[in-house]
Amino acid sequence: MTEKVRSKIDISLPQSATAGDVWAQFRGVERITMELTQSYKYSLGKVSRFFMELENGRFLATRCAGCGKVYAPPRPLCPNCLAVADWVELSGQGVVKTHSVLHFSPGSNDDVEALETPYVLAYVLLDGADTLFPHLLKATPDQVHSGLRVRVAYSEKPVHHPIHLMYFVPVVERERQ
Amino acid sequence: MSLAPVVAAVGATPVASEHRGCNLRDLMAEAVLDCLADAGMDDLSSVEHGLTSYESDHFNLGMTLGAILHDTIGMIPKPNVRIEGGGATGALALRTAWAHIQSGLCDSILVYGCEKNGRGVSSRTANQLFALSADVDWEMMVGGSYTGFYAAMIRAHMEAFGTSEEQFAHVAVRNRHNAGFNPIAQKPMDISIDDVMNSRPVAEPYKLFDCSLLSDGAACILLSTEEWARRHCPAFDRRAPVYFVATGCGSDTMRLGDRYPELTNFRAKRRAAAQAYAMANISDPMREIDVAELYDSYSGVEIQAVEDLGFVEPGHGGPSVAGGIFDLDGELPVNTSGGLLGRGAPVGATGILQAIEVVQQLWAAVDPQRQVAKARRGLTDTHAGIASISVVNIFERRD
Repeated sequence: MTEKVRSKIDISLPQSATAGDVWAQFRGVERITMELTQSYKYSLGKVSRFFMELENGRFLATRCAGCGKVYAPPRPLCPNCLAVADWVELSGQGVVKTHSVLHFSPGSNDDVEALETPYVLAYVLLDGADTLFPHLLKATPDQVHSGLRVRVAYSEKPVHHPIHLMYFVPVVERERQ
Repeated sequence: MSLAPVVAAVGATPVASEHRGCNLRDLMAEAVLDCLADAGMDDLSSVEHGLTSYESDHFNLGMTLGAILHDTIGMIPKPNVRIEGGGATGALALRTAWAHIQSGLCDSILVYGCEKNGRGVSSRTANQLFALSADVDWEMMVGGSYTGFYAAMIRAHMEAFGTSEEQFAHVAVRNRHNAGFNPIAQKPMDISIDDVMNSRPVAEPYKLFDCSLLSDGAACILLSTEEWARRHCPAFDRRAPVYFVATGCGSDTMRLGDRYPELTNFRAKRRAAAQAYAMANISDPMREIDVAELYDSYSGVEIQAVEDLGFVEPGHGGPSVAGGIFDLDGELPVNTSGGLLGRGAPVGATGILQAIEVVQQLWAAVDPQRQVAKARRGLTDTHAGIASISVVNIFERRD
């Protein structure tokens, strides 16, 4: 017999009524699949230039025109002074302040879905910045510790979200200036 | 004579990984019927205002659930407000209701919250939806997740203060143990520190048993003026009056990295606590609070919370927790309900469930095995994200 309800997952009917159950007539349950597929035309807004420059191998931050605080990731408007910021270029070198080793991927997009676990999420204080930048640190978990020098590396492969045009790698000794 | 609202009655469903036989309306209705029974009232005709508490339109597959639930429980045509504040939603809803009563806008308000975070969607979908509650372009798209953000924070705490994995494992063990005395708890367990230490890594240093639960559930609290409760709620005079005496709220940046150099603790929580303590005239919370429900989304978060709430000195959370002063037989028992780790966390209901536990402790109405003797003042601590929003509510028994 073909199923009359195509989305039906299952039904369950109570074996017997429990004495005193006020819901006794409502215990049979049917479950169906509900699909919700969404796709957005999503603007990266006033931080778009950060992502555009990643394609050119340049790492930008913003500096508040009022207090001078340097934000990486960039903030077009300084939350401390509400002054409009200026773009500044950083070297892309920095230091790990804290991190986690993730054993599952949230699958937020195709780039993240493709990650091999475990992977390292590092919070990096870039030279010249006052805030921490969270990103993937491509290194074996045992290698990673607070104080580790890292630098931005630029992706060769096409990516899904432009934030994946970059990631961090440890600075090896001979690279150090 | 205080103008503070009283807790007239409370109600809740059991918390479960999946309430397969109930959709969200059914769950909410069951919690409201439980509240009516607790109040000794036949219906909600005397209640003047509603307040809906739920977090996620996506998890619950609905965008006007405030209106739908308000209709379901028979509150039409009375006014209603829907509150959303991430993980803090339930506590923020109670805080908002507090202001409704204090302002004189109404004398009675039913705060009702629910969520189906359990198994309605796949783990992947659940992770994506939770990731959307982080900073989308900068944290979510790089493979970040809340487990990862919390893990990075507790690692900083470990490096700054010497906090150990065994110390936060104590929270994972104790809260699941406490849940064993709570009939509505989702996952009571008697496990050992070793079980926690040996559970599989999720986001190091957090392991499986350090992580709280995804849950289905609903809860509600009827708040009113004392005069309204005496007139309309038969149960009110049968038990000690409990007042909702103080509420505090604070906020912090969405991204952890924007908080640098502070990575170890929750500024928003310190702010919320300071505001609530000032309102309740509390100067020494460790001595002046008898019972507390803390937001243990991850085991280590409780260690950070006891510091930010001023129960112990900054950096002393680890040894204090592991030393047992927050256990059922300790100086200040916390998470007697089992917390988010053991009782569970249906988001929109979580803050309400925390308040219910504290209120029932003050009524001396819980299972004797988890009852705190002579509890007169209790606190709830609830936050959103990594405490981008933090709410502290304080309840007091006065008889």
